[in-house]
Amino acid sequence: MKKLLSMILAVMMLLSVAGFAAAEEELKEVLTVVTWDANTTPYLIAQEAAFEAAHPLIDLQYIDVASQDYAIKAGSMLSGNDTSDVFMVKEISDLVNWKAQGFAEPLDGYMEKAEYDVSGFVGMEANYALEGTQYALPFRSDFWVLFYNKDLFDAAGIAYPTNDMTWDAYAQLAKDMTKEGQYGTHYHTWLSAVANWAVADGVNTLADGQYDDLAYFYNLYQGLEDAGACMAYSELKSSGLHYSAAFANGNVAMMPMGYWYVSTLIGYQNDGTCNFNWGITAVPHAEGVAAGSSFGNLTGVMMNAKSENKATAWEYISWLCGVEGSKATASTGARPAWVSEDVATAMASVAGFPTDEASKAALLPTFVAVEWPVVDKLSDIKPIVEEEHTLIMTREISVEEGIEEMNERVAELFE
Amino acid sequence: MAQTAVQQRKKGMSKLERKNTLIAYTFLAPNFLGFAIFTLVPVVFSIMLSFIEWNGGALSNMKWVGLENYATIFKVEKVAEKFADGDFFYFFNRVDLGIALKNTVFYTLITVPLTLVCAIALAMALNKAVKGAVAFRTIFFFPYVASMVAICVCWNFMLMKDGPINRFIMALGIDFNKSWTADSTMAMWAIILVSVWRNMGYYMIIYLAALQGVPRELYEAATVDGANKWQQFRNVTLPQLKPTTFFASIMMVISCFKIYDVVAIMTEGGPGRSTKMLVTYIYDIAFARIKYGEASAISMVLLVIVLVITIIQFSSEKKFAND
Amino acid sequence: MSQIIVSKQRAIRKDNPLLNMVGKVLLYVVLIAVALFTLIPFVWMISSSLKLDREVFVYPIRWIPEVFHWENYTLIWQKVPLVTYFKNTAFIAIVVTFLQTLTSSFAAYAFAKLHFKGRDVLFMAYIATIAVPWQAYMLPQFIMMRSMGLYDTLWAMVVLQAFSAFGVFLMRQFYQSIPTELCEAARIDGLSEYGIWARIMLPLSKAAIATLVIFTFVGTWNDYMGPMIYLTRDVNKTIQVGLRRFIQENSSDYHLIMAASLCSLLPVSVVFLCLQKYFIEGIATSGLKG
Repeated sequence: MKKLLSMILAVMMLLSVAGFAAAEEELKEVLTVVTWDANTTPYLIAQEAAFEAAHPLIDLQYIDVASQDYAIKAGSMLSGNDTSDVFMVKEISDLVNWKAQGFAEPLDGYMEKAEYDVSGFVGMEANYALEGTQYALPFRSDFWVLFYNKDLFDAAGIAYPTNDMTWDAYAQLAKDMTKEGQYGTHYHTWLSAVANWAVADGVNTLADGQYDDLAYFYNLYQGLEDAGACMAYSELKSSGLHYSAAFANGNVAMMPMGYWYVSTLIGYQNDGTCNFNWGITAVPHAEGVAAGSSFGNLTGVMMNAKSENKATAWEYISWLCGVEGSKATASTGARPAWVSEDVATAMASVAGFPTDEASKAALLPTFVAVEWPVVDKLSDIKPIVEEEHTLIMTREISVEEGIEEMNERVAELFE
Repeated sequence: MAQTAVQQRKKGMSKLERKNTLIAYTFLAPNFLGFAIFTLVPVVFSIMLSFIEWNGGALSNMKWVGLENYATIFKVEKVAEKFADGDFFYFFNRVDLGIALKNTVFYTLITVPLTLVCAIALAMALNKAVKGAVAFRTIFFFPYVASMVAICVCWNFMLMKDGPINRFIMALGIDFNKSWTADSTMAMWAIILVSVWRNMGYYMIIYLAALQGVPRELYEAATVDGANKWQQFRNVTLPQLKPTTFFASIMMVISCFKIYDVVAIMTEGGPGRSTKMLVTYIYDIAFARIKYGEASAISMVLLVIVLVITIIQFSSEKKFAND
Repeated sequence: MSQIIVSKQRAIRKDNPLLNMVGKVLLYVVLIAVALFTLIPFVWMISSSLKLDREVFVYPIRWIPEVFHWENYTLIWQKVPLVTYFKNTAFIAIVVTFLQTLTSSFAAYAFAKLHFKGRDVLFMAYIATIAVPWQAYMLPQFIMMRSMGLYDTLWAMVVLQAFSAFGVFLMRQFYQSIPTELCEAARIDGLSEYGIWARIMLPLSKAAIATLVIFTFVGTWNDYMGPMIYLTRDVNKTIQVGLRRFIQENSSDYHLIMAASLCSLLPVSVVFLCLQKYFIEGIATSGLKG
């Protein structure tokens, strides 16, 4: 047994030595970018190709992390003095943490020196400015829209959802579209998919300590769940069903989801995973809130303060967030943060994007609130709201009790 | 004078002793070096960390804060205030640490005895001349080698609404059809179920080995004395299994207190905080909120609890030995 | 004497043939029921892995698929670089198991059979670290490993797991059950301590070694957190990290998830099946006494 073991051991060692030798490559400057789901995210692939074509002497390498583990893995890499040059910013709360620990390189100096034009961000870059200093730049900006399956609506003979629709009208529509084996709508398990809509009025935020405004949306959801118009939260949670598959299966009429899902759907159509017609509209709005109001999240890039090639890293960041990078991003159906005429053309001309006017109009929201504002103790507030969210969604406690708990627990943080 | 005498005595004794010690150290060295560098030093460091405010990165970022981290995680002020108001259970009902403690202790208290009982029962059954004993043994042990990532996904499906387990339960006439992991009470039982399912085979094997080491004469003597099966089990088997039970229960208590993977994959600590455990809490504080000082302080709470339990078990082992 | 007892037992048994039969049948029923309970998730995995994705959740459950979709298995080999993952994991698991078993049995001998200064203190240090969850000291460890240049290499996983306190504790518990008189006698016969370890302790502790090998191999093979934190480049990823990513990327392809999971189970199962004979016979002969 031992002989066998030691033989295997020796073979394995040889293999690994051979592996190292093979890894020696030609001398290109290597730029490492930490990101998530690099293999399956179309815009990352497009960005890499475009960047390397424009910068033949730079070898862009993604470090791929499973998206669920991103905050943890990236956080531990940074804490452990990792020297990867650029980290993508998935959540603003992560950037707040990283900045507080001094992991993030301030970008103001680079921007000044390059006279970097920020006009295309239409003010969105301010979300990454912490205490007056810019720590990251956005390259993707997603707001939430309503996806719908045109074929199902056609089959039912019911009119498509529109860009100006109240939540009540939407709920009715969802119930109308529900029948055996078909769901009127689909809510992913996230807090954002169910209750974030309260922030679309631009007054409420999820960090203000007052959550009474969420009650309407929880009640709306529970009404739909009771009517069988959407899959039940508890089953979604335990089966781990991904929203992308839920809608792509073709038995869901509508689904509120982030704009990024457009590029996934186009990808699915190209590889044959799904083959129905779909469209997008603005998300419904509450009474008294302007049609076309939504909320959104930014995806950005941060320079690691411990990067050893900061000049190259800045080159990448400025390229990615600027016009050229945005075109590459837009070419896959993702929505870049930088918006100019060039970019808009690129977005509209993506093969596979719905050609109807309503879908195009949905690209122009009237107002986009930020999902989570940057505030003190954000990383303490978030888990509280999310924990109570799971209790409300599983109906362990009533909507009122859950909101009471949110109010109380968040208030305690600030005592 | 007295001092030199002692020294002399030490020297006189030490020749053999020193040689023995030296030999012993050569035995220890290969493991100890690795252990010290890669485990002991980081552990000691993390003990220090619980008195320090630090968020990773440069070592110069450290700031000595004394017991502040502990005060924060125990929410000392708030708990004291509530206590004065007559709300004695505020800590266990509302504070994250208290809830995690309560959940972990509950989980351990149920899982350890349940697993041990199942393990002993299975071992007793297989210790008889049973046809296909090897096959049974292999089957029972198998869950232990399965990876948790794969298994928990599978169990989540099994415990879903309308899933096989719920169908079985309903067939028995119990009216329960909800995804286990979406129910505050059942989520904990789902985790206990998976833990027992996974570990019973491992401890069964250990008991099986111990059972085969029980001298036959003892049973023979008991039979002569007219003891029935149950009496034999109580008066012969159980006492003979005590050392094994000791080993098994220490290992299990420690691993139960460190429960992480099953929870992380199956429930993520939810719904709400109903399956939040000490280690999931540590993980969350350390990595999602980058507060290493507080995370270390929680680890120290865990360490102290486990050490106290281990010491109690060790001292009761000595009592067993004296019996 | 013993013959009398045996015949007496036989007599008792003969008295109640029916009761005996009932007992036996009951025993088998219970054993089979528990075995089924143990196996159900695996059976479900196997059957799901051979179905189409939409068939997975059809009720009533069809334990045997209508059509066997073996192509699921070829599909996952195309979708995931399983070979790389297997190679990495095998390397780590084998090296760790080898080092762990060797150094632990060495150290355990000192703790169990030798007297030296500081033994109890050292042993307490070992025990105490078992009690500390890895998550608690993961960060200092991570920083150290980085400074040693081990980050994102397979060797990081090796040194991380090869010197665990658990191995020493386990082996010491086994060695304690071996009578000290054996060692004493060998010492009188002029064997050195190393000789005693090699010629007496090792052969007697086959069971313990088999236990530790299974334990370590399985633990290393199934470890998720360590590789997740320490291994970053795709060429270095292990099977569990790969599996988790696969599950995330294909969250609704339950049939493929199950097929991939089953593939990840195979190597551990083989190690276990090969060693289980030693594992159990060995324990029985040396007699595990806590």
